[in-house]
Amino acid sequence: MQEAIVFSLNVSYGIISLALLVLGLAIIFGLLGVLNMAHGELVAIGAYTAWAVQSAGLPLLLALPVAAVAAGAIGWLMEITIIRHLYRRPFDTLLATWGISILLREAIKLCFGLEYKSVIEPVGGSITILGADYPTYRIWLMVAVVLGFVGLFLWYRRSHAGTRVRAMVANPMLASAVGIETAKLARRAFVLGAASAGLAGCLMAPLIRIDPYMGVDYLLSSFFVLVVGGLGSLQGVFIGSGVIGGAETAASTILGGTGGYVTVLVISILFLWLKPGGLYARR
Amino acid sequence: MSEPLLKLDRISTGYGDLTVLRDIFLTVAAGEVLCITGRNGVGKTTLMRLISGVLPPQSGSIAMNGQDIAPLEPHARQHIGLSYAPQDSVTFAPLTLRENLTLHHKDHSLDRYQGLFRRFPRIEERLGQVAGTLSGGERKILAFCRVMAEGGSLLCLDEPTEGVQPENISHMAEEIRAAAEAGRGIVVVEQNLSLIEQAADRVIVIDHGEIVHQTRNGPDMRAEILEKLKV
Amino acid sequence: MDRRNFLKTTIGALAASQIASPTWAQGKPLKLGFLIPKSGPAGIFGPSSETTTAMAIEEINASGGILGRQVEALFGDAGGAPSDTVQAAQRLWRRDGVDALIGQHDSASREAVAAMLRGQLTYVYTPVNEGGYCHTNTYSLGETPDQQLAPVIPYLAKEHGLKKWYLIGNDYVWPRGTNAAAKTYIAETGGEIVGEEYHPFTVDNFDTSLTRIRESGADAVLITLVGGASVTFNRAFASFGLDKQAIRLGTLIEENTLAGIGEANSNRMYSTAGYFDALDTPAALAFRKTYYDRFGADAPVLNTLGEGCYEGAMALRAMFEAAGSTETDAVAAAANGVSYTGPRGTTTLSEGFAASDIYLATAKGAVFEIVQRFEKVAPGNACTNG
Repeated sequence: MQEAIVFSLNVSYGIISLALLVLGLAIIFGLLGVLNMAHGELVAIGAYTAWAVQSAGLPLLLALPVAAVAAGAIGWLMEITIIRHLYRRPFDTLLATWGISILLREAIKLCFGLEYKSVIEPVGGSITILGADYPTYRIWLMVAVVLGFVGLFLWYRRSHAGTRVRAMVANPMLASAVGIETAKLARRAFVLGAASAGLAGCLMAPLIRIDPYMGVDYLLSSFFVLVVGGLGSLQGVFIGSGVIGGAETAASTILGGTGGYVTVLVISILFLWLKPGGLYARR
Repeated sequence: MSEPLLKLDRISTGYGDLTVLRDIFLTVAAGEVLCITGRNGVGKTTLMRLISGVLPPQSGSIAMNGQDIAPLEPHARQHIGLSYAPQDSVTFAPLTLRENLTLHHKDHSLDRYQGLFRRFPRIEERLGQVAGTLSGGERKILAFCRVMAEGGSLLCLDEPTEGVQPENISHMAEEIRAAAEAGRGIVVVEQNLSLIEQAADRVIVIDHGEIVHQTRNGPDMRAEILEKLKV
Repeated sequence: MDRRNFLKTTIGALAASQIASPTWAQGKPLKLGFLIPKSGPAGIFGPSSETTTAMAIEEINASGGILGRQVEALFGDAGGAPSDTVQAAQRLWRRDGVDALIGQHDSASREAVAAMLRGQLTYVYTPVNEGGYCHTNTYSLGETPDQQLAPVIPYLAKEHGLKKWYLIGNDYVWPRGTNAAAKTYIAETGGEIVGEEYHPFTVDNFDTSLTRIRESGADAVLITLVGGASVTFNRAFASFGLDKQAIRLGTLIEENTLAGIGEANSNRMYSTAGYFDALDTPAALAFRKTYYDRFGADAPVLNTLGEGCYEGAMALRAMFEAAGSTETDAVAAAANGVSYTGPRGTTTLSEGFAASDIYLATAKGAVFEIVQRFEKVAPGNACTNG
């Protein structure tokens, strides 16, 4: 019984943390068609922000806005200097953002050094759920992320601003014709995607290894999710995270860490081969 | 009247090195309905894209109320009173009809559409559906409603009657006349002669990227146009 | 030049300016090359290694240098792959012309560096190590599993009635060597091994391991994870409530790792080593006072690895002076039986290893408390690699 509870919580955590980490990449790809190779570095910047705030002796909660602003500001700079000239040129954006990712990684090395950092969770200890101990911070994180996704979903579906974004995605030319300044909206969407990558890194910081190369790991797993879930929808993000996160947790429980990784790789390859649009394709 | 509502002066445009329209001169006055007709592929839609700002001019000038609008992007032209319904992709397919009609209005209100809903009740019946589920003609009507209620001083409609039932074409013509009487200038690219006859003040015929004929609406108009449209 | 190098140069310059005296100006300075991790999972050991090294160099120079020559420290990063450490070692040796290398890094890098040097340079390896190896002109000062575990495992087994041990470590030679030794000692107490696993350095999710530990019913976990991996594991271990099920024993859980683990997650955790910041022997207290007076209360916390770098410099001074030369052969001839005094007390070199007192400490919040002292435990080295 205890094992079953811990296992299902682990699976939930795998899915939810993955969805959190993918969100920024999915926003930017789904709304703008840009595959942001610097996504992982934005996640890393969020995590380093958490470390910096904590080592300055400030409350970790403060790191959330700081991380969002820092990553968002970098996203804004990326957009106005480089990305906006390259919309609708997928290969060029791929190269450009790859270059930016290297630049950001070097900047991280310069600012924070090469060694691993660790952030102490703001709420330690464990909660007992039906007799099974589970880390308190993970429970809080899962609740917060699910609420955040529900909020984002409602905002996207219901709010005026969300409707304009959807209009831009559906028909950019017509959106411009009805008076929406699509260039500005695209920049905001990019900044939103970057900021949510930073937030994800900040929220995950107490649970992960923080070093300058961490970004690559998160970029990879995010790709897997996009491949499976389909491109450009919140539903796709959750479905993809469900398949990848669930399969990885389940497979590594049975087969060990390498087995889990191989399973994820095989699933991703099968999807690329048999269902290249993913489970929840936009078109 | 010092300046016309819209003035195109010896304007040329096209795609890349290709020039599709050459030395176009035309004006639209407030309260006037100008119909542009011609065979398929002669540059009518290109002209509309030029006026709406989707396509930049290669040479010549374009002005609204005397103001040069060449540097303005489509959204900026919309902000100064140019309302535009393109020929294709006239709606936001994944959005509901309600969202299609209100997303560009700060108040999200459907009040401005009440008159149009009486003419086109099917739109009002389907407000909760997404636009992608509509037929081609219904989408055209949706876009037409959106432009007519947008509040612009210059309305640009690219083939608004494509796929639309004849009785609804008459409704459209009546709405266009009413808008002209209210002082708006209207440019309609159209191949449907019945709409042109019902709505136009003036007609321009384009062929091979040039204006080949201009005429006022009257008893001889249909024959003149048909003559020009022959090969 | 990155910030750290800048800092180091500044510290070096300060140190040099304090002891600038014309009598030492003659003769080239004696150069010691320090290989310490400045990146990767062991990077958390870097800062304290730099400060203790600076302190050792200052003290040596203040008391007349080595063989009458002023001493200078040069650094190479040993935090990456063994091949990178070898390159750093080669730069120090061939380009900078160091007179000896002092290594504070993982065993895989030590094997690679020793293979590259082939005995042509005196090489002092300071951290805990798996023992059982020997290389010409290579001297290991750190504790071997025989030292760390032979007295400690029976002690803990008796104290807590331990029967089921779970072994978890990073995947390289030191954890595997340590666990090989541990199995013998565990068997001698009548305990059994209920699980054994090794992880790459980049691991950051231990959910599966924790599930296995829970299911195995282990009442003790021997941890040979290093640095960041150890921090992540120990945090998750406690936050899953496993600290109630099993005690933890680490052979490389030092003060930085404990700080990373945090007081909320350190319940029932033990560490075994020859040196702790909490050590209250006269030698350790004197070392401690000098260190924190010199670098301030906010200095990187003292630990067995940083202390090792200091000892490395002291050991080399003793060896060079006993040999009257820095030549490898002369040093080798003189080294056996050489004694030097460091924070662990007086240490004597024997067959390339060092006997040492061993301490078992337990975490009280985020600091260690010494539980038990085991005197002069022999390194138990027997060459298995010729």
